[in-house]
Amino acid sequence: MDAEDRQLVEAFRRGEESAFSALVIKYRDAVYRVARRMLGNHEDAADVTQEVFIRAYRALARFDGRSRLYTWLYRITVNLCLDWRTRLARLPLADGAPEPAPAPTSGAPEVEARETVRAVARAVAALPPRQRAMVVLRLYQDLPYQDIARIMGCSEGTVKATMFAALRRLRRLLVAEGVAP
Amino acid sequence: MRLGCREAMDLLVEAATGTVPPAVRASVVAHLVGCPACRREAAALEETASLVRAAGRFTVPPGFWPAFTDRLQARVALERLPVSARWARWLARPRHALAAAVLTAALGLAAATAGRLGFLGGAPSDPADAFDAQLRGLVTETMTATLPSLAETIDTWRAGLHAGPDAEGDAR
Repeated sequence: MDAEDRQLVEAFRRGEESAFSALVIKYRDAVYRVARRMLGNHEDAADVTQEVFIRAYRALARFDGRSRLYTWLYRITVNLCLDWRTRLARLPLADGAPEPAPAPTSGAPEVEARETVRAVARAVAALPPRQRAMVVLRLYQDLPYQDIARIMGCSEGTVKATMFAALRRLRRLLVAEGVAP
Repeated sequence: MRLGCREAMDLLVEAATGTVPPAVRASVVAHLVGCPACRREAAALEETASLVRAAGRFTVPPGFWPAFTDRLQARVALERLPVSARWARWLARPRHALAAAVLTAALGLAAATAGRLGFLGGAPSDPADAFDAQLRGLVTETMTATLPSLAETIDTWRAGLHAGPDAEGDAR
């Protein structure tokens, strides 16, 4: 756990509520991004992000500091997203595909970029939940494999093997969508 | 270090997603130079990873974070309340109050039925016994000593209470 997080957790244990607010401000964006990419829409991601911080608030005083705080928060996030998807049992990204990267000019390239983004979003959404979680944590959050293994509760080797399978599957899906050659 | 295809494959994912140390990456590259099959696989993995990365951008709706923070603070404030206050607040919602009322009624009915059927331990209670017990609680020894007729009346009453249909028949 980094020094700043440790200080905030200790302050929270002393009863300083502002320490929790500081942690929320520090991590809310990362938590939301993981949830949004795993769930595929803003509304569910916003609800899950709320729930992550409520659970963190309840358990923060007991956080032992053996793992990093963000690893702990990501673990709560991933588990909630997996449960959320099971509960809702509905297809992600039906209406809320990520927006394309800003920049493209008007006309055909913009349409093409938007379509590529949608195709990739569909391909990511078609992955099994745990594969999708690993892809999100590695490719979007840039977490090291060691941290992903802690978050997912498995070995580093399993994460690498799963990532390999996920990338191959994504490749097939993107080729089928006509996005990759 | 000279890598075989299998070892190279194991490292390809890491190489494709950009996490291997330079020395390991150099070994992978050295293998790829002499292995067209692994080279194709590596290119496909890298391209897929970069496509996925590039497509993952999105923006948060304007005004989302202030609204999020307000909602979270309200929920956290609720977490700080004592359990009784949280219950009261929960019950304040009509939907929850209705659910609690239905649940209470169902539990009451279940307890009454269980009591009547003798599921709550012992034989079904006799109303006469219950009344007798109540009477014993109300009438003290001092009262019966002061008013002997009261004691007699109560004894007669008790005898009447415990007399079943057979006793009534005998009396006739």
